[in-house]
Amino acid sequence: MKTASRILGSAFFREGFEVQDAPRYGAERRGAPIFAYVRAAREPIHERGVITRPDLVVVADDSLVSVAAAGVLVGASARTVMLICSNDDAAVWRERLGLDGPVFTLACEPAPDDEVRFLGAASAGAASRFTGVIGRESLEHAIREELQDLRPEAVERNVGEGLTAFDEMEAHAGCLSEGTIRSAEAYEDPNWVELPFEGVEISAPDIHGAATSVQVRTGLWRTMRPVIDYDRCNRCSWICTTFCPDSAIHADADRTPRIDYDNCKGCLVCVAVCPPHAIAAVPEQVAVAADSEEAST
Amino acid sequence: MSERASETAFRRMKDLPSTHLLGAGTATCAGCGGLQAIHEIYDVLGEKTIFVNAAGCMTLLSIYPFTPFRGSWLYTAMACAPAGAQGVRDALDILKDKGRIPAEEDLRVVVLTGDGAAYGMGLSSTSAAIDRDLDFLYICYDNEGYGNTGQQSSAGTPHAARTSTHRGALGYPGFKKDLFSIWAANRPAYVATVTGAEPVDLARKVEKAAAMRGPRLLIALSPCPTGWSYEPKDSVEIGRLAVETGVWPLKEYVDGRVVHTRRPRKRVPVEEYLRLQGRFAHLFEPERNDALLDEIQARVDAYWEAAD
Ligand SMILES: Cc1ncc(C[n+]2csc(CCOP(=O)(O)OP(=O)(O)O)c2C)c(N)n1
Ligand code: SF4
Ligand code: SF4
Ligand code: SF4
Ligand SMILES: [Mg+2]
Repeated sequence: MKTASRILGSAFFREGFEVQDAPRYGAERRGAPIFAYVRAAREPIHERGVITRPDLVVVADDSLVSVAAAGVLVGASARTVMLICSNDDAAVWRERLGLDGPVFTLACEPAPDDEVRFLGAASAGAASRFTGVIGRESLEHAIREELQDLRPEAVERNVGEGLTAFDEMEAHAGCLSEGTIRSAEAYEDPNWVELPFEGVEISAPDIHGAATSVQVRTGLWRTMRPVIDYDRCNRCSWICTTFCPDSAIHADADRTPRIDYDNCKGCLVCVAVCPPHAIAAVPEQVAVAADSEEAST
Repeated sequence: MSERASETAFRRMKDLPSTHLLGAGTATCAGCGGLQAIHEIYDVLGEKTIFVNAAGCMTLLSIYPFTPFRGSWLYTAMACAPAGAQGVRDALDILKDKGRIPAEEDLRVVVLTGDGAAYGMGLSSTSAAIDRDLDFLYICYDNEGYGNTGQQSSAGTPHAARTSTHRGALGYPGFKKDLFSIWAANRPAYVATVTGAEPVDLARKVEKAAAMRGPRLLIALSPCPTGWSYEPKDSVEIGRLAVETGVWPLKEYVDGRVVHTRRPRKRVPVEEYLRLQGRFAHLFEPERNDALLDEIQARVDAYWEAAD
């Protein structure tokens, strides 16, 4: 998404706009939500910081919609254009989210010969088209400039994805309207919590419990789930429990391994090291669907 | 190795514990080789351990009110974990001398830092701690870069690896600093290299280090899916290949001698190790850089020729 925002920003810039673009990271880890903001205007921009009233929201992964920390709807209004990368169509999302404004989707299905769709370049392409002021050449130039370090085939794929999405959104060219500039006088303090300066015994708190981290549900990070086939398992639990970086596999007294799905991050190291290949990797969505089916029967 | 095997509780994989002390639910990336080594080390060290942790990825282990540890953990600035360890050691000694804690409540003082601190920023305070013969164990999880801030090059980065500060076709122009020899030259109690993918070798070394006193160092090569750019599931494979190619020699310094605890009988070509990692992709694409690959292989060969 950071790359998509850079591409969109550079494309605006080539069209003569003043531009700001900035990423914002939460936790520094794979799979953590990240945010990237682009502001563009014909005049110098005096506003700073994160965008609180977006004209356009691009959601790169539809699973983020249900993640509170991602806050994809924060600040959106009836005129905000939503673009969601999803295989569900726009009507479904409009209904699900109770939105009245314009909602579009980019299908995640790749072209027949490709393994994945490059959604970063594709969303930058679609967003450029929505603006109605970015031309095809500026978009292409911006993608090439941003990705110049990559292998030539990768650059061409991205250019292709960006331009395809740009063309795909032809009917919605210019659907994005310019927001009003807020004057500094209308500035409201964010709703932050005042923390008074406190003595060291309070401000450097101790943790007295042991291994309290197990309460953090890192299992939510998982995109793939390791599933043990107990018929094949040799009960050599010293192997999988040692190599699991996260201590997320425990063994019963008879050496039967048990995966702690509340905490397993889905790295699949256990799948790779299990000698008889007794652990399968199942896409989390498939596993969740299977779980709920089982629960309902 | 064989004459020592009888002294150890860890002879084969089966001897490793199946219940593990380190709590799950930490913020490290999925597949983190550093966390893997730390959880294996913690099983051998036990609960009566206090970690003094310099800024780096493992700072994220303990975030109030959550901790994966069953004992204490203290956070210090990047350059001064050994100084923090000195304070903790002194405080414990004073408490014991004054009879305010019984001897069995004493804690093992362990410094935990990345390579950025161990090979670079923290070397001065480490050197001073060795001079004072501080009784501590230093664990460096070596992910060969400033991982927590986005994998910039560190003094532990290997030649030719691409990092966020060396993005060109030749990668990092410097050479990985020989921290093992720097420590060994100061005649500390113990120095060893380990990696989480070789848990039996690791457990023996931790066991040995834990029984000694004085300055001791364990350097754990820590495959890092995020910084080295590979699929998290490959962490163990990459660690094993680091050993089998001879890139990461498993060795120890004890009683003034360096002993290799594993000599790969037939070394796998280093290419096999490099090829799995995105940080070396520029050695193979868009075209193969034979000169650089040969240079890397030649350095590994020269190391083992000198060692054999
Ligand atoms: C004196 C100082 N400079 C810079 C930083 C910012 N910083 C925090 S973590 C980090 C990287 C540390 O690298 P390393 O020791 O290898 O640990 P890793 O992040 O790889 O776990 C840096 C540079 C800092 N905390 N203190
Ligand atoms: S490594 Fe595989 S076979 Fe061995 S206990 Fe774990 S799941 Fe079972
Ligand atoms: S997928 Fe990773 S975190 Fe989950 S149990 Fe396997 S090794 Fe542990
Ligand atoms: S960046 Fe590397 S060392 Fe740091 S937590 Fe992630 S995998 Fe572990
Ligand atoms: Mg590091």
